[in-house]
Amino acid sequence: MSKDADLGSFNLEANADGHKLSTHDYNVTTLRSYFLQNGFNYSNYQGLGYGLVLYPAFKKLYGADTDKLAKELELNSEFYNTNPNFLPFITSLHLAMADEGADYDDIRGIKMALMGPLAGIGDSLSQFCIAPLFSTIFASLAMSGIAAAPLLFLVAMNGVLISIKFAVAAQGRKLGTAIVDKLSSKLSIISETASMIGVTVITGLVATYVKMNVGITFSAGAAAEGVKQSTVNIQSMLDGIAPSLLPVLYTALMYWLIKKKGWDTYKLVILTVILGIVLSVCGVLV
Amino acid sequence: MEISLIQALLIGIWTAFCYSGMLFGIYTNRALVLSFGVGVILGDVPTALSCGAIAELAFMGFGVGAGGTVPPNPIGPGIIGTLMAITMSDVTPETALSLSIPFAVAIQFLQTFIYTLTSGNQELATNALKERKFGKWRLFSNFTVILFAAVGFLLGFLGASSMTLLSQLVALVPQWLLKGLSVAGGMLPGIGFAMILSVMLEKKYIPFALLGYIAAAYLKMPVIGVALVGCVFAIKHYNDATEDREPSNLAVELPADESAEAGREDWI
Repeated sequence: MSKDADLGSFNLEANADGHKLSTHDYNVTTLRSYFLQNGFNYSNYQGLGYGLVLYPAFKKLYGADTDKLAKELELNSEFYNTNPNFLPFITSLHLAMADEGADYDDIRGIKMALMGPLAGIGDSLSQFCIAPLFSTIFASLAMSGIAAAPLLFLVAMNGVLISIKFAVAAQGRKLGTAIVDKLSSKLSIISETASMIGVTVITGLVATYVKMNVGITFSAGAAAEGVKQSTVNIQSMLDGIAPSLLPVLYTALMYWLIKKKGWDTYKLVILTVILGIVLSVCGVLV
Repeated sequence: MEISLIQALLIGIWTAFCYSGMLFGIYTNRALVLSFGVGVILGDVPTALSCGAIAELAFMGFGVGAGGTVPPNPIGPGIIGTLMAITMSDVTPETALSLSIPFAVAIQFLQTFIYTLTSGNQELATNALKERKFGKWRLFSNFTVILFAAVGFLLGFLGASSMTLLSQLVALVPQWLLKGLSVAGGMLPGIGFAMILSVMLEKKYIPFALLGYIAAAYLKMPVIGVALVGCVFAIKHYNDATEDREPSNLAVELPADESAEAGREDWI
């Protein structure tokens, strides 16, 4: 066993109620939501962060089974994007379900279905409501010369956000246990339902998050005296065929490369970066 | 005003802390907070407060882009701008704000670059998992924040010790490369989505994939709306599926009654 894993210090026995995870583990995971964006990148966004947040709890759950631990971490490194303050809802739910023995396939659907809506709610609340509010208040105080204003800003912001984190974490844990306990017979249907929502959200995100715009316009027809030259804009043409056509096609290309050609992320990233730079230099994409 | 080496180092550390704080979500990467630190280190809090407040209010108009779009970075006015206002006597906080905008934009492009660069993290981290080297996995999972701290330190330190050097560095990067990286950055999420879909997408979910596309691309619905639309069909499916598992009792009884009736009829 590699010494990096440091698994010996964890109590691997189940608690009195048959669960391996205690409230302490949930709290640690909730606090670790601060690390969600530690590995942020344009390819899988908060994916690696998600695995990082759950790392200690996973160690406790899967203990000596390093193969299972590695597999779970790998699975949980896939694309993720949500608001870090509402993440504890999802992670508590995830842990509660995993502790009850649910499979990752069941959890994944719910995880994916929740990330979009919680991102929407969370960002609106923290970035566009709470942050501007405190920002205006304390910036004005600073203008009046109150030296402590910036520090008070930090205290206020973080106080509110940490309360949100713990509040939603508790809800997530309750829900997670309920889903597996009371609805175990219907679990496969629930996870199917969640996967349906998840797939809907993900393709919706493809159309909104992947940005590809063609910047080519050229004039059509010969210029006649006194007649305004008409221009053809390729992006408008594409939009007429189908909006966000290029993002969908490009994602489909990535999908094909992954499924049929077995490309790994590294190759895909290099390809995308080179394509992006080349097409931008040629003026095709802006 | 001359800045000592210690002060430059402190400013570098402060910038590193605040910039990585952006990823932690503790809201330290705001002009108000950044300039406060510079003011405390250089011993001129009032000027710093003005710079920070003005920049904070100005940047609120820029808002924050959802999903990685690129408004100018608060480090521009927060660190560089404040440095200028404090060290150069003829630069007012307002002037400092305008002067620091090119830096703010350049730093944001730098951030785009970092996010693009770290896109290989997932692969590196997964390979570490295959070798069961969990420490290495943690390193790669934290790579972005490590880079942020390093870059933050460099920006703060260079800004404090040599403004001219920083300007020259900013001018070095070719425009076409910056634009190209930006375009590439817009395309990269497609990889992440494709990876999830390669696992989640089964034939029976294809209608839902189409649904998500229609809702977002044609109807231009925000993400919660898309999720709700997905819910409509998914819950309907759930109801249908659970009903199949528990057929109602009525259906079982009726045929028995009918055949009994028919039997009696025939008898007569």
